[in-house]
Amino acid sequence: MTPALMCEDLWKTYQRHRAIGVKSLLLGADTPRETRFSREWALSEVGFEVPRGRSFGVIGPNGSGKTTLLSILLGTVQEDRGRVSLNGRVASLLELGAGFHGDLTGRENVFLYGSILGMRLAEVRQRFDRIAEFSELEDAIDTPLRTYSAGMVARLGFSTIINSPAEILLIDEVLAVGDTRFQAKCHQALREFRARQGTLVIVSHNMKELNEVCDEGICLELGRVVDAGPIARVVVRYQERMAAMAPGKAAGGAPGNR
Amino acid sequence: MWALAHTFALAFVYWIAFKIIMRLDMPNYSVYLVTAMFPWAWLAVGAIGGARSFVGNAPLVKEMGVAHVIFPLSNVMQEMMHFVFALPVVIAWVVLAGGYPPSVSWLWQIPVMILLQVAFVYPIALGCALANAYVRDIEPLLGIGFSLLFFATPMVYPLSIVPQPLHGYLELNPLHALMQSWRSVFMQGALDLPLMALAGGFALAAGAVAWLLYRKLAPRVGEVV
Repeated sequence: MTPALMCEDLWKTYQRHRAIGVKSLLLGADTPRETRFSREWALSEVGFEVPRGRSFGVIGPNGSGKTTLLSILLGTVQEDRGRVSLNGRVASLLELGAGFHGDLTGRENVFLYGSILGMRLAEVRQRFDRIAEFSELEDAIDTPLRTYSAGMVARLGFSTIINSPAEILLIDEVLAVGDTRFQAKCHQALREFRARQGTLVIVSHNMKELNEVCDEGICLELGRVVDAGPIARVVVRYQERMAAMAPGKAAGGAPGNR
Repeated sequence: MWALAHTFALAFVYWIAFKIIMRLDMPNYSVYLVTAMFPWAWLAVGAIGGARSFVGNAPLVKEMGVAHVIFPLSNVMQEMMHFVFALPVVIAWVVLAGGYPPSVSWLWQIPVMILLQVAFVYPIALGCALANAYVRDIEPLLGIGFSLLFFATPMVYPLSIVPQPLHGYLELNPLHALMQSWRSVFMQGALDLPLMALAGGFALAAGAVAWLLYRKLAPRVGEVV
C-alpha cells in the first residue's frame, strides 16, 4: 500500500537576502553568514514516510526547519531537490487565523474556511452543527471573529479541519493556545481521526501532546534529521540533548559555571 | 457604493475644470467623461488592488495553499462588479443627460466589452501581483504610473484637440483603444472593431508576459510574501 505521505531527500534553500525593494536590488546586500536562523540549507536530506492511519510528530528547536517542512508538504513552498508525495485530501492549520476574516462571524468564517479547504457549500452545511458543537463557542459563533481570543480562534479552526473530509492533516503548533480541557478534546479527536485511517503530521513543542497523539516522529536540527523512530524515544533523546544545551550547562562546563 | 461616488466625483471635478474653467468646446463632454471613467476605474483599481493581492493575503498564500491565480482574479472581479453596479447610472447619464438613444444592441455589446476588459485587466493584475511579491515598490509605482497614464490617454480631453505629431502615439495607446471602444458602444451603439482588435492584441501580449512571469515567479511566491 502506498504511504499517505512520503518525502525523499528533501533539500531547501531560501534566498537569504530577499529582494524587498528597489534599493536592495540596486545596491545588493552584504554577504550572508551561516547562523542558526540563516544558513545555506534550511532543510537537507530530509526523508520519511507516514503510512495511512498514522500520526507523525516533528520536533526540534526554533529555526530547525519544521515550518519549512510543513510548507513544502502543503505545497506553498517549493523544494529545491527531492520528492514529495501526498495521497489524499489535505487540510492544514499552520497559522492561527489564516483563512479567517475578522469582520465575519464565526459561523460565516466556518463557511469561508471550509470553502478554502475545498469543501462544497452542501458539505459545510451538513457538517456545520458538528463543527459548532465541537468548538463549544455557543452564542459566540454569531459574533465577529475580531472579538475572539486566540484560544477561541484556535477552537474554531481546529473544529473546522477535524470535521472536514480531509484525509491528511498538517498542524503547526496551534493547539498550544487552547485550554487544557480543549487540548485533551483535540487529542481525543485526533486519535479518532487516526482510527478512521486519517494521517496526521503535527509540529509541536508540547512533548506530552506528541506522546499522546503520535506514533512516530523525527527531530530536526539545523535542517537535518538527527533522530527518527517511535515518538517516545525521539522525545526522550530530544529532551536529553536540550537539557545538555540548557543555559549554565554548556558542553563541558559544570552547572552554574560561566 | 463609495467606489461609484468616487468615480462620479472625479468626473465632476474634471467637468468643472475643463468644461467650465478651461471652456473646452465639446458637445456632451460629461458623457465623454463618464463613459470612460468607469472602465478606467475598473482598470486602475483592479490592477493596483491586484498588485497587492499576494502580499495582502499572505496568510492564505503561505498557510493555506490557495491557488495563486485566484487572488488577482478576485480583485479584477470585484472591480467588475463595481462597474456592473455603475452601469445603470452610466446608461441613465448617457440617455438622460446626453440625449443618446438607448440601444438594444447594448445587450450584447456591453457583455462583449466586459469580456475584453477582463482579458485586458487580468494579465496586468496578475503580472503586477507577481512582481510586487518580489519587489514591494511595484504597488506605489503603479499608482504613479496610472496617474500619468490617465493623462497620457485621451480621458479628459478628446483626441481631436491633441497636436498632430502626437496623434500617432496616442492612437497606438492600447488604453485609449479600450476606453474609446467603450465610448463607441455608449455613444454610437457600435463596436469599434479596429480599436477592439488593438486592445485585444495588447491583452494577448500582456497575457503572454503574465504567463511567462507566472511560470517563472509563482513557485516561490509563498516564500517571499
